[in-house]
Amino acid sequence: MNDFVTSPFFGIVLCIGTYAVGLWINRKTKSPLANPLMIAIALVIVILSVFHIPLEDFNQGGDLIAFFLIPATAALALSIYRQVWLLKRNFLPIIIGSAVGSLVSMGSVYGLCRLFRLDDVLTQSLIPKSVTTPIAMDLSIQLGGEPSITVAAVVVTGIVGAIFAPSLIRLFRVDNSIAAGVAIGTCSHALGTTKALEIGEVEGAMSGIAIGVSGILTVLFATIIL
Amino acid sequence: MKSLFQVGIVLAVCLAGELVSEAIPAAIPTSVISMILLFVLLLSKCVKPRHIEQFSDFLLKNMAFFFIPAGVAIMEQFDLLKNYLFPFLLICFITTIITFFATAYTVKAVMAAQKRVREDKRHE
Repeated sequence: MNDFVTSPFFGIVLCIGTYAVGLWINRKTKSPLANPLMIAIALVIVILSVFHIPLEDFNQGGDLIAFFLIPATAALALSIYRQVWLLKRNFLPIIIGSAVGSLVSMGSVYGLCRLFRLDDVLTQSLIPKSVTTPIAMDLSIQLGGEPSITVAAVVVTGIVGAIFAPSLIRLFRVDNSIAAGVAIGTCSHALGTTKALEIGEVEGAMSGIAIGVSGILTVLFATIIL
Repeated sequence: MKSLFQVGIVLAVCLAGELVSEAIPAAIPTSVISMILLFVLLLSKCVKPRHIEQFSDFLLKNMAFFFIPAGVAIMEQFDLLKNYLFPFLLICFITTIITFFATAYTVKAVMAAQKRVREDKRHE
């Protein structure tokens, strides 16, 4: 049994299996709330807890999957390149939109944390939550936060973006693919971008650009302001 | 052989991204640098889309899947967060929506302003 769960194949097969279940439930219910990624994460957590399997064992395979996050983010360059004429034509709106969004994200987190009277460490851990994980972790350490809380906030934020992006587009009547894409990438980094890619090629590319722009600008703003 | 070549190019760009990320003083991660590098390579035609298309599209189509381990790792933070789980989730939820709204409307507003300027120029 021990060899079974410590084998890298265990984590990989478990992820693919639970993700397949997630996709199946998503197809059956046709509800955006039944997000395949969220279902897979929940199922894996339940299975590990019920069978008392240490996270470390799961990560023998999990790390191999997470390894692909870097090449996958790099591959966004191709989807951006396919829309390069749109980027050239709308360079200013994309940059300014991302800049305003990054500031609003940090400001609104700070304001709400104060409102809920959360302590400083938690507040500082949450401030960088809208940007991609490695940037958010570095910033969290710089600000005096707890990086593991930051990672949790980044993932939750990304899942919120991935689940609610289509509803938000409808709710706020964002009838413009560029605005929708930049908004998804700025508010929910690469995880939200996975949904943007499903919505459309323009949305995916713009969301990809916004990951980079908002990430770099957030570092810049945090250094200037804080 | 061709598909192996594609994997090789993308991973080589990531390797270069790692080197650059370590060399520069700013805290910009390998993933973002690799994305910028690959974009520059595509723009300069050093890499053609057909050189990386199949592998890249495979990665892009399955991007959500690669996030499963990161999500599962949250279970480790559960003890730390259980006292403020509700405000934590609420803040993540509300600020994501506010940020979406602010960004989308700024992009639309700047696009509209840009359009006016461009039209004025045409009339002159």
